[in-house]
Amino acid sequence: MIDPGMKKVFSILSILFLLQSCNRDDIVQPVSYNNPELSLNIPTGFPALNNSVNANKPTKYGVELGERLFNDKRFSADNTISCAGCHNKSDAFTDNNARALGIYGRVGLRNTPPIQNMAFMKFYNWDGKILQLEKQPLIPIITHEEMNSSIVEVIDKISDDREYKDLLRKAFGDESITADRIYQTIAQYLYTLISAGSKYDKIKRNEGDTFTESEARGYQTFQQKCGSCHSTALFTDQSFRNVGFPLNPNTDEAGRARVTGVPADYMSFRVPSLRNIEYTAPYGSFGQFPTLRSVLDYFDHGVLDADNLDPVLKENGNRIPLTEQEKEDLIAFMKTLSDPAFAGR
Amino acid sequence: MKNLRKYIWIAVVLPALISCSKDDKDPVANNVTLHFNNTFKNNTIVLGNAASTTATTNTSAEGQVHHFSELKYVISNIRLIKADGTEIPYNINDLDKGATVVNQAKNETLDYTLSNIPSGEYKQIKFGLGVKQELNTLDQTKFPTFYANAGANETEMMWEWGAGYRFTKLEGFYDSDNKEMSIHTGSTVEGEEGAYTQGVDTYRDITLNLTSNAVVGRNAPKITIKADFDKLLSGKTNTIKLTTGTGMNDNATPNIHTAVQMTKFVDNLGGDGLSDITGMFSIDGVEN
Repeated sequence: MIDPGMKKVFSILSILFLLQSCNRDDIVQPVSYNNPELSLNIPTGFPALNNSVNANKPTKYGVELGERLFNDKRFSADNTISCAGCHNKSDAFTDNNARALGIYGRVGLRNTPPIQNMAFMKFYNWDGKILQLEKQPLIPIITHEEMNSSIVEVIDKISDDREYKDLLRKAFGDESITADRIYQTIAQYLYTLISAGSKYDKIKRNEGDTFTESEARGYQTFQQKCGSCHSTALFTDQSFRNVGFPLNPNTDEAGRARVTGVPADYMSFRVPSLRNIEYTAPYGSFGQFPTLRSVLDYFDHGVLDADNLDPVLKENGNRIPLTEQEKEDLIAFMKTLSDPAFAGR
Repeated sequence: MKNLRKYIWIAVVLPALISCSKDDKDPVANNVTLHFNNTFKNNTIVLGNAASTTATTNTSAEGQVHHFSELKYVISNIRLIKADGTEIPYNINDLDKGATVVNQAKNETLDYTLSNIPSGEYKQIKFGLGVKQELNTLDQTKFPTFYANAGANETEMMWEWGAGYRFTKLEGFYDSDNKEMSIHTGSTVEGEEGAYTQGVDTYRDITLNLTSNAVVGRNAPKITIKADFDKLLSGKTNTIKLTTGTGMNDNATPNIHTAVQMTKFVDNLGGDGLSDITGMFSIDGVEN
């Protein structure tokens, strides 16, 4: 009935059609929803982005979803604590507790770390266990002293949430909530939390502000006595050091050595950023110090000795000598690193 | 002549039929049961609390008397090696189907049945103490069964801060005053295998030659694996003295959840991966 030539045309056509429909599945889906990438406002002088950011670039709806998840109390077993419960924006995403408080008032091992400029960090947590922010959200979810839940339990609780479904569709093209999408969107939100709007920044950018005399003297002292560790635009060189602070009595603590197994890392902690330091009291890995003044007094009076005490301290008789005037000035300078807009103050 | 031909036919066909029926009866696969016998030297361990009079005690090379109240470890990545050298992996990339938590307090966990093992003779077994790095991600959505077995934090075989599984968990008491000992092991590595950027890898691959071949087919053999926890403190790699305190070298409880002292225990339990590939494990026997 049909001549062979015609048959050939048919089969080519049908193959073409098949190919086309294959292609269509592959291509059409991503453009069926519009979820623009957000451009991160990278301050001048900041270090390079953590590579993970490039693999999980913040998007309009990803960030929106991540922020809502960050504030969702259903992440904890008894629905009382969200991520934001300990990472409170007005305290530069930390809290005022010496050690973090989880559900049922359980006390954690360490001081809640502030969340700021995460996109530029190479290590997360005081011991640097986590190198990719996407791997972090699971930890508080399952930790007994924090949320004491599990990712499947969380997904079960939130999978019917209509707002989440809407945002998931906008962010990913479909409504299914997965563990990876939770981790990714929370990380996307955190990547957008960039703090570079302090008085110090405005002075550096020549935006009209100037240091007071005390702040200017403090900046001088800072550069002489603090700046070798609290370096770069992040005010941390992201190294791990034992600075001889009072030791955490919890037997689980070993500092960075807990991760690396290297004795030289024993009781070493990541040098904290000094940005927004005014907002993040108390200080130290388990909140040993109630005020900035008490930290400076401690350095001045002398720190605990240790085999692996940081060389900077060892060379100076286990202390950083500071006059009373220098302490006052340093505190004045550190307060210029506060970013009220970032903290919503 | 006709009869002869008939006999030849019978002689030819009969064996063929017999061998056929033999094929039908001999299964192509069967179970292999691994039985774990947790001991101090040759004595199977009985657990007990601090005041227990029934718990099995052991004395280390350093002369420290000790006993356990809890004993758990993870076995995964199981491979059976045939007499001809062929390696038969058992769900090595599926923790739900190929990994187990051995718990001395739960009898049913002391036997682990490998199902559908191809018929044949096996001369060797390999397995991991712990979970290999690429699967050690606490992925509850992927392996819900193993995640539940490992803990849901009831048995605390998860290392929350390290975001991986605990590989060994030993709780007990030592010295005449029954000081607490608490030894937990697990990996803290980051990055890709072969190019870890930080941390310690405490997964250990064990290779054991069977004392006699396990013959899988009509029979479902049982292989008894002895785990001699005497090696914990008195191992091939390290002779360890327990001390209690908060210093860097105190190893009985403080920092035990940390990587500093942990590796010494791991090398004793699971071997150092180089000169010692058996650690505390040996084959007690094979029943066919």
